[in-house]
Amino acid sequence: MGPLIPNGIIPHEWDSIIAILIGIVFGFVLEASGFSSSRKLAGLFYGYDFAVLKVFFTAAIVSLIGMYYMDYLGYVDITQMYVHPTYLWGAIIGGIIMGVGFVAGGFCPGTSLCAVAIGKIDAIVYVIGIMIGVFIFSELYFLFEPIYEGFFMGNITLIDSLGVNPYWFIFIFTLIAILSFVISDIIRKRNKKIFY
Amino acid sequence: MVKKKVAKVLGFRYKALAGILIILAGGLVLLPKYEKHEGIKPEQLLSNVISSARYVSTDKLADILINQDPSYLLIDVRDEESYKKYSLPNAVNIPLAKLLDEDFEAYLNQNSYNVVLYSNDHFYADQAWILCNRLNYKNLNVLKGGINEWYETIINPPKPTEDMPAEAFELYTFRKAASMYFGVAYIQEFKVAPVVKKVVPKKVITVKKKKKAPAEGGC
Repeated sequence: MGPLIPNGIIPHEWDSIIAILIGIVFGFVLEASGFSSSRKLAGLFYGYDFAVLKVFFTAAIVSLIGMYYMDYLGYVDITQMYVHPTYLWGAIIGGIIMGVGFVAGGFCPGTSLCAVAIGKIDAIVYVIGIMIGVFIFSELYFLFEPIYEGFFMGNITLIDSLGVNPYWFIFIFTLIAILSFVISDIIRKRNKKIFY
Repeated sequence: MVKKKVAKVLGFRYKALAGILIILAGGLVLLPKYEKHEGIKPEQLLSNVISSARYVSTDKLADILINQDPSYLLIDVRDEESYKKYSLPNAVNIPLAKLLDEDFEAYLNQNSYNVVLYSNDHFYADQAWILCNRLNYKNLNVLKGGINEWYETIINPPKPTEDMPAEAFELYTFRKAASMYFGVAYIQEFKVAPVVKKVVPKKVITVKKKKKAPAEGGC
């Protein structure tokens, strides 16, 4: 049956409307759970708040397990899912830059916009910085192009590139996630409690 | 007292959630596996088979070939011998028996060309089409009637009789022009009518001689 849009159950014309609705809900949840505070995000780096790690890891596991159950029961065809293409070095370098920006600014691009919406000045500065970065990137695109478009590895997943059984992979991944939650809790308890 | 109990249960909640996740993930590993149906579903295949949208007429194909439309790829599914004897221009030969060879997969499973399959009639081509369709290959068409139809309509178009509508004559002219493109010569039309030399009668230009006017009386 699913995925709904590629199989024509929901027409393509609804794409933008669905995107807007999901965006509104996503933004609301981010703000409601306090992710629009740069301290919350920086806490992951300094070790006093691991909410970000827990939230995103849990989201990944829940959707992963849910998808594979739906695939098993025949509601969703997992092979029809969109897999983001991998540009190896582009992803590595971009990841490092984003990580540094994440720690230095205390926002990820999504949460920065949430924080702008509630009027945080540091977030406004951050978003202006993003725009300057985008401008520089597009002006110097010819320099970055070989990295940006090179090292293309296709639409692969970890399951393809490691060649493992997806079900075992999910099980081990879940164990890793829960282990990381436990460890992060231990680290948090050792750190001095910070109120913010 | 009740509050304490609730707090006790709630304090346990993260461990419980973690346990649920592990059990669910473990369940995926332990579930009995079954072979998945590859390719498209039988119902989908049936509706594709019933639909005649896959057929391309010979006239359309002739038009495509004459205009040298680069988006079309012709695939001859007959055996090699027949392919060598006669085939359409720029066709690729993929014998039906070798249809699923890996060498040919790139021709069939692609997104950039409209593939037209053909054989002597359209039955072998249809079989090839069904096999490929089952594998969910896109942009596949079948030449209606195959090479035989091609021969009967394009290479050797039947002359319309006089009581046929004007469209039949237009079609005939198109087919005839197409067949000329594909190398058929209509000898009777190339017969040059014998040149009859017209005898041009010599024109006699009569020049009126000026008569000397008789001197008239004057001043």
